Amino acid sequence: MALHFSLLPLEALPLRQSPSALVSRGRVCCVDRAAAEAGVGRGQKLSTALGLAPGLAVFERDAARETAALTSLACWAGRFTPMVSVQAPNALLLEIGGCLRLFGGAEAIVAAVEAGCREQSYSLSWAAAPTPLGALWLARAGQAAIHVDAATMQAALARLSCALPGWSAEIFARLEAFGLPQLGDLRRQPAAGLRRRIGSGPLDDLLRAWGEIPHPQPAFVFPESFRLVIELPARVEHAEALAFAGQRLFSALAGWLQVRQLLVRSCVLQLPHDDHSTSELPLRFAEPAADEARFARLLREHLGRLKLRAPVEALCLQAEEVTARPGASGALFEQAVVGEGLALCLERLQARLGAGAVRVLAGQADHRPECATGWREPDLDLPVSAASPASHPPPRPLWLLPAPQALREERGRPYWQGPLSLQSRAERLESGWWDEGEAGAAGDLRRDYFVARNPQGQWAWIFHDREGWFLHGLFA
Amino acid sequence: MSAAPLPLADVLARGDIWRGDALPGLPENAIASGHAALDAELPGGGWPRGSLSEILVDRCGQGEMSLLLPALASLSRAGGWLALIDPPWQPHAPAWVAAGVAPERLLVIRAGRDAPWCCEQLLASGGFAGVLAWPASGITARTLRRLQVAVEGRPTLACLWRPSAAASQPSPAPLRLVLAGETGGLSVHILKRRGRPAAQPLHLSIPRPGRSSRALVGSSLFPVAARSAALAAVA
Repeated sequence: MALHFSLLPLEALPLRQSPSALVSRGRVCCVDRAAAEAGVGRGQKLSTALGLAPGLAVFERDAARETAALTSLACWAGRFTPMVSVQAPNALLLEIGGCLRLFGGAEAIVAAVEAGCREQSYSLSWAAAPTPLGALWLARAGQAAIHVDAATMQAALARLSCALPGWSAEIFARLEAFGLPQLGDLRRQPAAGLRRRIGSGPLDDLLRAWGEIPHPQPAFVFPESFRLVIELPARVEHAEALAFAGQRLFSALAGWLQVRQLLVRSCVLQLPHDDHSTSELPLRFAEPAADEARFARLLREHLGRLKLRAPVEALCLQAEEVTARPGASGALFEQAVVGEGLALCLERLQARLGAGAVRVLAGQADHRPECATGWREPDLDLPVSAASPASHPPPRPLWLLPAPQALREERGRPYWQGPLSLQSRAERLESGWWDEGEAGAAGDLRRDYFVARNPQGQWAWIFHDREGWFLHGLFA
Repeated sequence: MSAAPLPLADVLARGDIWRGDALPGLPENAIASGHAALDAELPGGGWPRGSLSEILVDRCGQGEMSLLLPALASLSRAGGWLALIDPPWQPHAPAWVAAGVAPERLLVIRAGRDAPWCCEQLLASGGFAGVLAWPASGITARTLRRLQVAVEGRPTLACLWRPSAAASQPSPAPLRLVLAGETGGLSVHILKRRGRPAAQPLHLSIPRPGRSSRALVGSSLFPVAARSAALAAVA
């Protein structure tokens, strides 16, 4: 199957205004549909084009950008088949013979390809044929059809014009002089004579397209680690506008993960600013994922909260932690497992509230009550530690105040919303000599803790130390 | 008029007869609350799953969490995740562990203004066994309606803690309790429940720390003696 991106040089820039045109050496070389309707055509001088369409957005042609775009498209195409071949400058060849059964037919693959290209707003013409060169020529001609056997493909190829395969202008002029406008006419001529007149290159191409000699394609090597950059045509000030460009990056990432059979756990989106500094947006998943829709949702949540400190001119996505995908991947993503609802929910909460707002308790071995509670990131794979409660645990309150609150004394009793009466013996806690003098640490404690009750029925955990009575916890 | 009198059982089995003395059951299993008197008064025989429960308290420290703790501990033992949204104070890990809740599955979320949104996400995900929220403000009947819709049909225990002043405001939650402390324990007034309205408040005794230690040590310990001994030791 061949995918031909006719407007790739122009569409490699996401977030363009339309109408737009690409210029190289003073002449227009690529226009989009809105500009074409205004009358701008290929080969015109720039001044002509601006005269025809005053609101035209003009960009310089950049070959490196086009190869980067083609590479990202090749990564995206990895979700259909692992055998992708890049045909510079603007076509991809996908070997789908082995994947037909998985996707349920060539029509399903075609529909998915078209939907994907539409999402990323690339204009596409495709064709499927038994030989790669045949498919490529048909796609360039714009004949979108699936040719299952060689005979129909050869019939379709015979009707193509000789200008299509991209032979040199001199050869095409000679063929026209011979009176051979179509490939079918060319094929009917005796081969030996033609070889002497126009050389063996075009004839070998014909043989390859007809399927008579094999035509192995160089396979596209999917990179070991994923790092992709997209340049933006204009500086972007608001983070939400980056969502579309980011989506192209994530589509490529999803295709790369599918080919390499990996799941990503965390990745980093780098935003280089125009003052040569870079901000980074780390994205972390509660469990390793490869689902594109999930990436897109997470990206939108993060971008909704992000404030850019300077305009951004490019986007770079780098996958940091990847893990191997376990074997039963089909069942994992199709059933709606309750565990998956938990992980997605946690991710969404962390994206909106910030990573530090969603935490899980962890007990720490410290006698000082302030230090006995630790915090940890929620982790779905952590096993539950076996509970081994002490035989007579000392009474501890469910809630602890962030800082002990001083209580006033009335008639020799501490007072908190009523006079407190002590209900238990003193429990002396003396600990923490190692923290003394450190900023932010609890320090050396010497406290007598009591369980107290007030006439309203509230039970509190208070202590008495050098400085007086304090309220520290509540037995809720 | 029928020829022969019908047996009473047949009459009661008819669909158009409503019995005023029975509490309805619930579609999802209810969680036993650990207090037999409370279970007898709650529809379904325990804390309801899949619908919102509102607990209205004025003061803290009267045993309101200890009322829920047996249910939370049983959920945690079964491996479920619990979430606390904006709790009024920080949870003290040793106490929660001693109550039987696994700390790795206890999520504490600081939501602030996003508390209603957070609640809705947690309830709709269906992956949490229990969600307890202390919304500070901004709870309207519309927000409660959204939360009720989010939790409908999911096997989640959803509890919302609000001040007692909210008792006079209408709320779509199917179960509303008002808790107040008294000398012996806790008085539970069921403001609203499915089925017939509750006649009188329940008086439940909650296990309290001081009482248990007194029972261990013996009747020779008096509060006044303890305090003076402690003060003497410190001074």
